[in-house]
Amino acid sequence: MRPLLALLRKELAVLFGSPLAWLTLTGVGLVTALLFFDHLRIYNQILFLYATTTMGGFDTDTIPTYVNLRDQVFLPVMETLGLTLIGLVPLVTMRVFSEERARGTDELLAATLLTPGQIAGAKFLATFVFVAAMMLLSFLYPAASIVRSNLGLPHLLAVYLGLFGFAIALASIGLACSAFTESQLLAAISAYAVAFVLYDFRWLAQFAPEGAMVWIDPLSLHPRFGSFAEGLVRPADLVYFGGYALIGFALARVALDPRRR
Amino acid sequence: MNARGLAAVGFVALGFGLGAYYTTDGLGVFSAANLIGGTLALAIAVLAALRRRGAPGGRRGSAAWVGVALALAAVWIAQHAFERAGLAFDWTADARYSVAPATRQALAALPQRLTLTLFHDGGDNRTRSTRLLLQSLARAGPVDVRERQLDQAADEAERYGVAASNAVVVALGDRFEVVERPTEGTIWEALERLTSARQAVLYVARGEGEGNLERSEPSGFSGLAAALQNEGYVLRDFVAAAAEAIPTDAAGVLFVAPRRPLRESSLAALEAYLERGGRLVALLDPGTDTGLEALLGRWGFSLPPGVVVDPASGPVEGDPPGVDPIAFEYAAHPITRGLDPTKMTFFRRARPVGVAHKPEPDDELRALVFSSKRAWVTTDVDAVEHGLAPKRPADAGEGYQALLAIGRFPRAGGEARIAVFGDADFASNRYLRSLYNLDLVLNAVHWATARESAITTRPKALTPDQYPLTPQQSLRMLYGVGLLIPEACLIAAALLWARRRSA
Repeated sequence: MRPLLALLRKELAVLFGSPLAWLTLTGVGLVTALLFFDHLRIYNQILFLYATTTMGGFDTDTIPTYVNLRDQVFLPVMETLGLTLIGLVPLVTMRVFSEERARGTDELLAATLLTPGQIAGAKFLATFVFVAAMMLLSFLYPAASIVRSNLGLPHLLAVYLGLFGFAIALASIGLACSAFTESQLLAAISAYAVAFVLYDFRWLAQFAPEGAMVWIDPLSLHPRFGSFAEGLVRPADLVYFGGYALIGFALARVALDPRRR
Repeated sequence: MNARGLAAVGFVALGFGLGAYYTTDGLGVFSAANLIGGTLALAIAVLAALRRRGAPGGRRGSAAWVGVALALAAVWIAQHAFERAGLAFDWTADARYSVAPATRQALAALPQRLTLTLFHDGGDNRTRSTRLLLQSLARAGPVDVRERQLDQAADEAERYGVAASNAVVVALGDRFEVVERPTEGTIWEALERLTSARQAVLYVARGEGEGNLERSEPSGFSGLAAALQNEGYVLRDFVAAAAEAIPTDAAGVLFVAPRRPLRESSLAALEAYLERGGRLVALLDPGTDTGLEALLGRWGFSLPPGVVVDPASGPVEGDPPGVDPIAFEYAAHPITRGLDPTKMTFFRRARPVGVAHKPEPDDELRALVFSSKRAWVTTDVDAVEHGLAPKRPADAGEGYQALLAIGRFPRAGGEARIAVFGDADFASNRYLRSLYNLDLVLNAVHWATARESAITTRPKALTPDQYPLTPQQSLRMLYGVGLLIPEACLIAAALLWARRRSA
């Protein structure tokens, strides 16, 4: 257990000791803040207009149904933030395994008492902690605004739960890609490619039969995290995202198998 | 070209293919060729890499791949198990995907499976929400959900008369209804229209300044009329002044805030109708004496002049505090089924409606909806009408004031039923869908007309609290919290970079 914890500590230290990781955190925080501010500003202005002019008010039921937090703020922010995560998460995961391979330090790790499963587990866990920190930092400002304006905090939590699950799935894809190569560039590019392919299978509907799409469509990431944006938390979707972590871990374990070196 | 080069080509082709697909929102020759070519290149690269490395070695390699297969299987099984269980938690502020008891009740009573077909075009973002709503309904009862793209199912759309995207066709056997703006409420209403087999005739009194059930402005009652028709009532006008008797096909008579005194002949016709087991629902505003008060007095009701003032209720729309009571105390009765202190009803300048005495020993008279126990009654109706705060006399007694009373009167001709509200504004277009007003008034009509099975709590379009931030507050939040975090992260990145450079 002690070597495992030592490896976890080392992984966290490496992750949080990298300027690139902090730049990634900056990027996520900045994109979230500006995006959320802009959408909330427009939403608030529309609400304010309805509340203070002769158009009516909150108690006269004259605010059009399209002016709501879900459509004006949560959905667009989540869509854009999701795409931002596809761009940023592979930057964090690309070096986790491939750098060890390139430097040859993976041989040192293999010489310890740790099994390939433990090594992969520690690296996955450390990356997930980083992803959680990333999502937490980006959550603070929207949450403060939502609480301040007395809007739907549980809905915002659902949005972030979905984003966190999505980020975990992206990180797992990135880590699995990183485990199979010693090139950080290839790890990042392949993570982007896999994430984009899995993002949405709607394009397949053009030439795949409808019966096949019934099976293929649920594999897409986009509709899964879309439910969270709608405020609906479904355990099946959480299992789906968790499944990426499990399968990614199993693949990384294959890549770390000493006989495959 | 080696495997790595081929993989790079594959990734680039896939990226361009997907990029072209998403930007043009369609699969053209360019995107299709890139997607197919990229997938092929990647497949060949993977095969070549595997061949070069050789098959995963020995037992350990096989075991690792078995682990991957097991992980896939475990995820697939768990995911499908949860999907089948239909577990979902609705965290929306307006409880958008929580199916209301009325809808569950309607679905449970369906004679056959219901089909909900969502018609949409591919790029309509609203369909995601509608799809989730339909899935929620499918989990609640015997419902089949289908989807049709408008351009691919043009004939079917034309057959149903669907013209716009995001419309839902609610079909039960051969009958169907098209819902253009799908919400749980509109789908439930369509369902009610499809399943209400028995229609009852409700006569609506007119001619003495009553509230108009055709007027759609806030003070009108067109919303009440639509809701009654939706729940299986045929509404017919009943001009009290010109009528000798209440028609025999009447399931009930509805009075909505008459302003002028009714003629003696009208009151006599109503009295005779009640004596032979008639049904009456009266919504009576304060400050009027129409003759109905005296008639109802003979049936055991007490309608003292005055307005209920409830200090527990705050000011509404410029009215002084207390004159618009919010009621949350209900006596147990079929009319109040589903209502509890968390499900309030809102009244606007209501008069007290009491029960005084039972005309016959077997009669039943009850008050059902009450103000808070701190309420009192002012007789200065004019002051309240003019928006002035009523002065409380020193001897004004405090206590629960009834806002709805009902009575059952078994008579030789049948059982008469009467429901009397001390207010009509609560059922006007402006307030009908406030809180649980719609449920209270419709359930009272259902009870009075002996259609208790239709009593329910209807789907609500809940509005979350919406207090907007001013632009200044928004900016303060952005600078105070929003930009502080990225700034701190950037400083940390700079410090780390500087430390590495100096190391």
